[in-house]
Amino acid sequence: MMDVKRRYVIPGDVIATGPLRPEQNVYQDGDRMISTCVGISEIFENAVKVIPLTGGYMPKSNDLVIGKVIGTSPLSWEFDINSCFVGFLPAQDVFGRDYSPTKDELKQRLDIGDLVATRIANFDRSRDPLLTVQDRDLGKIDSGELVTISPSKVPRLIGKRGSMIQTIEMATKAIITIGQNGWIVISCEDSEGLLKAVEAVKMIDALAHTPNLTERVKSMLGVPDGENNDTIND
Amino acid sequence: MNSLILDQLKRDKILDLLKTGKRIDGRALDEQRPLIIETGVIPKANGSARVKLGDTEIITGVKIQPDKPFPDLGDKGILICTAEILPLADPNAEPGPPNEEVIELARVVDRGIRETEMIDLHQLVLIENKSVIGMFIDSSVIDSGGNLFDACSYASVAGILSCTVPKYDIQNEAPVLVEGVTSKPPIKTLPVSVTMARIGDHIVVDPTKDEESCMDARITITTNSDGNICAVQKGGSDGFTAEQLLQCSEMALAVGRKIRKQFEKLM
Amino acid sequence: MVKTMTQLMTEDGIRCDGRRLDELRNISIKVGVLKNADGSAYIEFGKNKILAGVFGPRDVHPKHMANPDSGILRCRYHMSPFSVTERKNPAPSRREIEISKVIKEALQPAVILKDYPRTVIDVFIEVLQADGGSRCAALDAAAVALADAGIPMRDLVSACAAGKVADRIVLDVNNEEDQEGQADMPVALMPNMGKITLLQLDGMLKPEEFKTCMQTALVGCKRVYEVQRKALMEKYFQNGEQ
Repeated sequence: MMDVKRRYVIPGDVIATGPLRPEQNVYQDGDRMISTCVGISEIFENAVKVIPLTGGYMPKSNDLVIGKVIGTSPLSWEFDINSCFVGFLPAQDVFGRDYSPTKDELKQRLDIGDLVATRIANFDRSRDPLLTVQDRDLGKIDSGELVTISPSKVPRLIGKRGSMIQTIEMATKAIITIGQNGWIVISCEDSEGLLKAVEAVKMIDALAHTPNLTERVKSMLGVPDGENNDTIND
Repeated sequence: MNSLILDQLKRDKILDLLKTGKRIDGRALDEQRPLIIETGVIPKANGSARVKLGDTEIITGVKIQPDKPFPDLGDKGILICTAEILPLADPNAEPGPPNEEVIELARVVDRGIRETEMIDLHQLVLIENKSVIGMFIDSSVIDSGGNLFDACSYASVAGILSCTVPKYDIQNEAPVLVEGVTSKPPIKTLPVSVTMARIGDHIVVDPTKDEESCMDARITITTNSDGNICAVQKGGSDGFTAEQLLQCSEMALAVGRKIRKQFEKLM
Repeated sequence: MVKTMTQLMTEDGIRCDGRRLDELRNISIKVGVLKNADGSAYIEFGKNKILAGVFGPRDVHPKHMANPDSGILRCRYHMSPFSVTERKNPAPSRREIEISKVIKEALQPAVILKDYPRTVIDVFIEVLQADGGSRCAALDAAAVALADAGIPMRDLVSACAAGKVADRIVLDVNNEEDQEGQADMPVALMPNMGKITLLQLDGMLKPEEFKTCMQTALVGCKRVYEVQRKALMEKYFQNGEQ
């Protein structure tokens, strides 16, 4: 069993003192490790971090996000990715290197308002994030219901090794695409299943860090409660 | 980062659902969202109300103080309704002098209360042509979730219904406050505002923010306790047919009667 | 009707609202009360009723105001027309503009802005009912709203005023004491850092009184911090056990 010390913290709380490595949402003042947000602090193998319970989406390279097209510029599409940073998908990612598409051709492929599953190809804070749709499971989403949750709840929605999301998908026969940015698309042929899946996702957003969440979700979905795996997934 | 563009899925969904007679939040086309009215929330003011209409939330304060009458209206007290969309209410709201949207909101709320003659202004005179009672009804939108017109109107009416009017004596031709004595405001009728949006060929009552962003036109109709139509405002960049407008006036009367019952409980 | 010193305080040091010299008014804070704002808080501090909403980090308009190396903080403190005894014109007064500035400068040292270049964090404060010490109460709500919005902060900011009334130093000046008293000193503190980020004085204090007044206010700030912490804990952890 790994020894991880956990505590509820708010900004300014001193998590620990001593020779530790400050990681996400922690800053160092002298030898004091201080939380910068509301969340759960973790001390593990000389490193200190805080899992945030607040905040919008901060892009990270390789994250799969759901984006909404909000504009086009000469050689790219602009995306709302639920962050203070706008995502850019270069035209050549879709049309190839040697082809310069017209504005109409851009709009025909992806138009304003379209929802797209995309991956963050590159992000450093000096410029806006670059997106790509080159993988097989990426691209425009034709149908499905968009649900917004807080990005900090996404790990809980996925669950340990995918257990939570699998539970929901199996119980409702829905297909759920999870964006790390908190945008979730749920599609289901059965309208009853769709409603239940949406309710389950919203429930996790509302109750992510309360005890017995797994049981409550399973009970709402009508799934027998087998194993007890109610731990926080990081 | 906030996008003003409704995502395509939601827009299509709104229209598809309307064709089957339903709305995204499960309401019927002529159904309002839950309305919660709380009065006396600002004890220092003469009257106040907090209204929640779905996700829209308004706080209204009523201030009553002596004032000079308008030049040609020396036998009437003063009634002024204002409205403001606070910058904390909406990511797109900008602090600064009111824009045309906010000004329209304030003037429509004001007309709704004035044209129905909710308050008998003749009873608010202290010295004719010299000194009258002024009532200021200021509404602040603190959370914007669609249909600010009705929400502000309901909050203003509730604030007025629950306010207390101070008593003034006249000494040396000037009004002097009499401590500890108050009276109820001189109310003649209960105005109820009902706002409807046209989306395609469908008319929906009490539009949400999403419905407003894809509506073609909007109409606000205020009726009084006698079932008369007293104030109307059409908005939006498209129009209505005459039949649609008559349909709207009927809905305004029907929905208005329901809301009026809620106000009557406050009296 | 002017209150004399004896009406502001009795011989035994009981104040006009029944409080002792070092007693804070009742404070309650609710976190996350608005749907649109990224973070929000509502505070009742005595008879003050104040709402704070935070948006951001978000794009800056006009673009020339953006800082390429760091986010910027903007703050607007505004009083509702019905918040004070005589109805106030909705347009911002010079007093409100000054208070907006000192509140912004009180929050700035706490907010970690370098993580969000070219963006702005907007703090909007609306005073729905005012009763002395509103700028401190506003600051207390704003700090909690920033934490609720997930803006990274080095510490919270906790504010409280102290003053001199009827020749004695008191904690947390109310409206009558502010108007008829001898000095009013609002103070804001970053509690874990020990950094004072707002300090103003209105009135006259001897050097010894100044020291006592400031220390009194700092004690008040720390008590306010406990209320802010409890409010955040209640919202996010439902007061669950550690």
